[in-house]
Amino acid sequence: MLTTGTIIFGVFALVVIASALGMLLSRNAIYAALFLVLNFATVAVLYLILGAPFIALVQITVYAGSIMVLFLFVIMLLGAEKLPAGEPLGHHRWIALLFGLVFLAELALFLVYRAGMRAAVNTPPLEFGSPAAVGMSLFQKYALPFEITGFILVVATVGAILLTRGEGFKGRKRTLEIQSQDK
Amino acid sequence: MSVEKPVVSLADLCSRYEGLLVPDERQGFEGYLISPDHLISFCRSLRDDVGYDYLSSVTGVDNFPAEQMEVVYHFYRTTGGPSFNLKLQVSRHNPVVPSLVPLYPGADFQEREAWDLLGIRFEGHPDLRRIMMWEGFEGFPLRKDWREPFFEDEAKPFKSRWPDGQVIRSEDQNPYKNNVRYPNDFDPEQWTPVGDDALYKGMLNLSQNIQSEFKTDQIVVNLGPQHPSTHGVFRMVVVLEGETVLSLKPVMGYLHRNHEKIGERNTFLQNMPFTDRLDYISSMSNNFGYALAVEKLMGIRPPERAEYIRVMMAELTRFLNHIFSIGFLLNDLGAFFTPALYAIEERELILDVFEAVSGSRMMCNYFRFGGVARDLPDGVLEKIKELVNDRLPRKLEEFERYLTKNDLVRIRCEGVGVLSPEEAIALSAAGPILRASGVPYDVRRADPYSIYDRFDFDVAYGLHGDIYDRYLVRVEEMRQSLRILKQVVRDIPEGPIMSGKPQYQARVPPGEAYGRVEGPKGELGFYVVSNGKPNPWRYHVRAPSFINLTSLATMAKNQKIADVVAILGSIDIVLGEVDR
Amino acid sequence: MDGAMILEWVIKSIFLILVMTGGFAYVTLYERKVLARIQVRIGPNRAGPFGVLQPVADGIKLIFKEELVPAKADKLIFTLAPVLTVIPALIITAVVPWGTEVTLFGRTIKLYLADINIAVLYLMAVTSISIYGIALAGWSSNNKYATLGGLRATAQMISYELALGFAMIVPVMMAGSMSLVDIVESQKPVWFVFVQPLAFLIYFIAALAEINRSPFDMPEAEQELTAGYHTEYSGMKFALFFMAEYIKMIAISMIGSSLFLGGYRGPFVDQLPALGPLYLFIKVAIVLFVIIWIRATLPRIRYDRLMQFGWKVLFPLALLNVFVTGVVLILVGG
Repeated sequence: MLTTGTIIFGVFALVVIASALGMLLSRNAIYAALFLVLNFATVAVLYLILGAPFIALVQITVYAGSIMVLFLFVIMLLGAEKLPAGEPLGHHRWIALLFGLVFLAELALFLVYRAGMRAAVNTPPLEFGSPAAVGMSLFQKYALPFEITGFILVVATVGAILLTRGEGFKGRKRTLEIQSQDK
Repeated sequence: MSVEKPVVSLADLCSRYEGLLVPDERQGFEGYLISPDHLISFCRSLRDDVGYDYLSSVTGVDNFPAEQMEVVYHFYRTTGGPSFNLKLQVSRHNPVVPSLVPLYPGADFQEREAWDLLGIRFEGHPDLRRIMMWEGFEGFPLRKDWREPFFEDEAKPFKSRWPDGQVIRSEDQNPYKNNVRYPNDFDPEQWTPVGDDALYKGMLNLSQNIQSEFKTDQIVVNLGPQHPSTHGVFRMVVVLEGETVLSLKPVMGYLHRNHEKIGERNTFLQNMPFTDRLDYISSMSNNFGYALAVEKLMGIRPPERAEYIRVMMAELTRFLNHIFSIGFLLNDLGAFFTPALYAIEERELILDVFEAVSGSRMMCNYFRFGGVARDLPDGVLEKIKELVNDRLPRKLEEFERYLTKNDLVRIRCEGVGVLSPEEAIALSAAGPILRASGVPYDVRRADPYSIYDRFDFDVAYGLHGDIYDRYLVRVEEMRQSLRILKQVVRDIPEGPIMSGKPQYQARVPPGEAYGRVEGPKGELGFYVVSNGKPNPWRYHVRAPSFINLTSLATMAKNQKIADVVAILGSIDIVLGEVDR
Repeated sequence: MDGAMILEWVIKSIFLILVMTGGFAYVTLYERKVLARIQVRIGPNRAGPFGVLQPVADGIKLIFKEELVPAKADKLIFTLAPVLTVIPALIITAVVPWGTEVTLFGRTIKLYLADINIAVLYLMAVTSISIYGIALAGWSSNNKYATLGGLRATAQMISYELALGFAMIVPVMMAGSMSLVDIVESQKPVWFVFVQPLAFLIYFIAALAEINRSPFDMPEAEQELTAGYHTEYSGMKFALFFMAEYIKMIAISMIGSSLFLGGYRGPFVDQLPALGPLYLFIKVAIVLFVIIWIRATLPRIRYDRLMQFGWKVLFPLALLNVFVTGVVLILVGG
């Protein structure tokens, strides 16, 4: 059954897969990072289609906007965009391929045998992912982990600021010495 | 600051070198001759025991056709007093002289210049490369037997233009044709600057040795020659780690026109307008230095009124130069032109005065040997009085109010580009740079010329040697200039403005003279040698902008790249003077 | 969703983009005029009366300029970067309301493109991705000045985004909604700038840093980096960067006005909704004037000091402000 929604979903899903593959296969770290950004952004669009704009925008802000910018920054700073030619994996490649296939098979099995999941995906609760719902779960159900995380982040920030303390600006007034005529 | 008392007097030292140190007894010359073998040991005693710690000028004289070249040194004490001149005579074929850089690091650029233009090799110089000309240039242009492209005649006025009075293209009738020579296997189309790779590699190696803990990425960045904040065509090769400068080398000579060679082709008087083109911001000061040198040779002094007018013009120039430099320092700090435009508002008024007296706003050409070109026109003195008593003090207040106490300016300037007093003296820094580093040395006070000994003024000096002190020193100097100007406009007498009658050709007896003034940018010296002909035999400019750049590398080390620009701005260079 | 509705959206989108690009052109003129008056000059006055055609002349010049691409540049990204810079700048103001609603041709038209309930988050998301264009421009030019400029931009924008976010949270807390329409409406009794001056100050400073305006224009610090990340750009590609910068200026003025200065609200706006856009325009013009004034007056802060200021002063202050606001709101609201 091809509805407009399914077609749009299909197109974006293809983009997600293509950009993920592009990330894996590009030999330039900057391109890889950009493919990943595209991937994150497209996943955000999928969230939008699912009617969860809050999660979509958080996805963009956090993953595409902060984490990947940091990645890009490090790559540019180190000048590490050119990957070394040759085979970085060597004979591990076959093992990696094997595990990849096993993982894929697992996913397929999951989809086939747990078909009931699909229904859940198709009809998320109306309030799912709204700012209010997220806030409620963060501050009620998961209040303790959330507060601990926040605390750790504040401690880390304070620590970083203290570690990089430089010399401050001394605002004293400065004058010159004068050598007068009759020295 | 405390200066150690010299342990030995100059006479004692000279007698210790009895026989090795020969007084220069040629007519009109002064100083001593020494052989290259004893130069280093003598200079060490001269610096450490007698206290001649400031090497003002190093240059060479080509005595062609005699098979001999001279290297001329001018030493001073930073406590004041006249100069000590030392000369070396070496053969023209293979002029080799020990380098004074280990003793006086300030000789660095000057020795490179002498090597570049005269071919004098300084043994022991750490980095003896050409400085004005490019690597691979053929010949040494200041030698008397080197002839420039389109060479026409040894001395001006050229026959093709005067006295015949016809204007022709000299190239058309030139017996020497274009006279352009290239080294063997040189193809101007294929040529790429050699030497640069070596420069970069050397700088990287040098900075890598300093690194101990981490091996991090260092990059070489060329600030310039085309760059918005090098104040002209000037290049700084910088090795960066992140944003921190590990080492810096200035590269200059992009505007080089061999001022000195042209000056030696000119007649004495023709050089007067030519000095305007050195530091085109303060042409009156340049005139002053050159006039002093030639007057010393001629043995004349200008009449009273002319002396007063000269001092007036020189101090107005200082004011003008300093507001200009402070305004553009703010630009270098990243302010978008507003402070610069406000700063130079008063400059226009001073230029009005210059235009009234000389007919030109920037290239004034106002001084003459033995006086000045014209008397002050009616009303100009009133105009100057108004400026000095009203307009300019208000400008200074404006600086104090908006800049001196400005936190952003202070954050950017304090503790940045520090030069210690010892370094400043050793590197031959001059002018506001030297004084900001805590050395109260002002030529007007230390070795008074003209009538500066009559005026009350103070010499201000800083204690920190950073950009902010250089700024403060400049502001204070402007205040002192106003003080001098007030005394000048009060005391200026009536009378003639020229000694003797105006001449087309100055008659200059043979001899040498070193005339120096405290220019706005520092000690500006003219070393002139005459052989009795209408043209100077040797005409050398001790350019403060050029020599102050010697200390740039020291100041910029371990600073942030943004500060390098501010440091350069605080040195206050004019490329017309640096490259000459 | 009927056809007329979609048509209305399309028209409003196109109108918004046209206003932003036209606004860009005239903000350049506005800036040059204001700068000139501050610097005792006259400013552009040759093209058209009072120089009003100057932006047109500039545009024509830029279109006909040769586009140079450095030989060793990464061509694809080099071309992509200006586009990536302009798009976020153009779409960010989609959630800013211009007014309530007016009746035009017998049809009630809401004077905003989208009133989504997560508008402030949308602003954060778009701001965060606007870094890419600049960073990539710096990297792809294969020029040391550009690379340094790109790196500076990235570090600076990441740092100031936090303070910006915390400053924007404060109006959200006050209004109890993330929708900009709600935020503007809840400023009916009093503008938030009077209740939360600190938050407005932090917002303004962080926003200046975010769009790389003076005194935070490190990435294009002319004095040391010539032109920073766009050193190698010329012609229309350069124009796109230029455009992005000025549109961002308009955008932060609009957002700041909406968050803190009462947006389209003003006297009699309830009776006559058409006044809304006018009030917004006046507020934006005033904020723009302040931005230009700052540029004309202040020297640049050095880069390391800028980062220190962001992390050690602005960020803790913003955090504290959010905390205090939260406590007070609970105490007052019970």
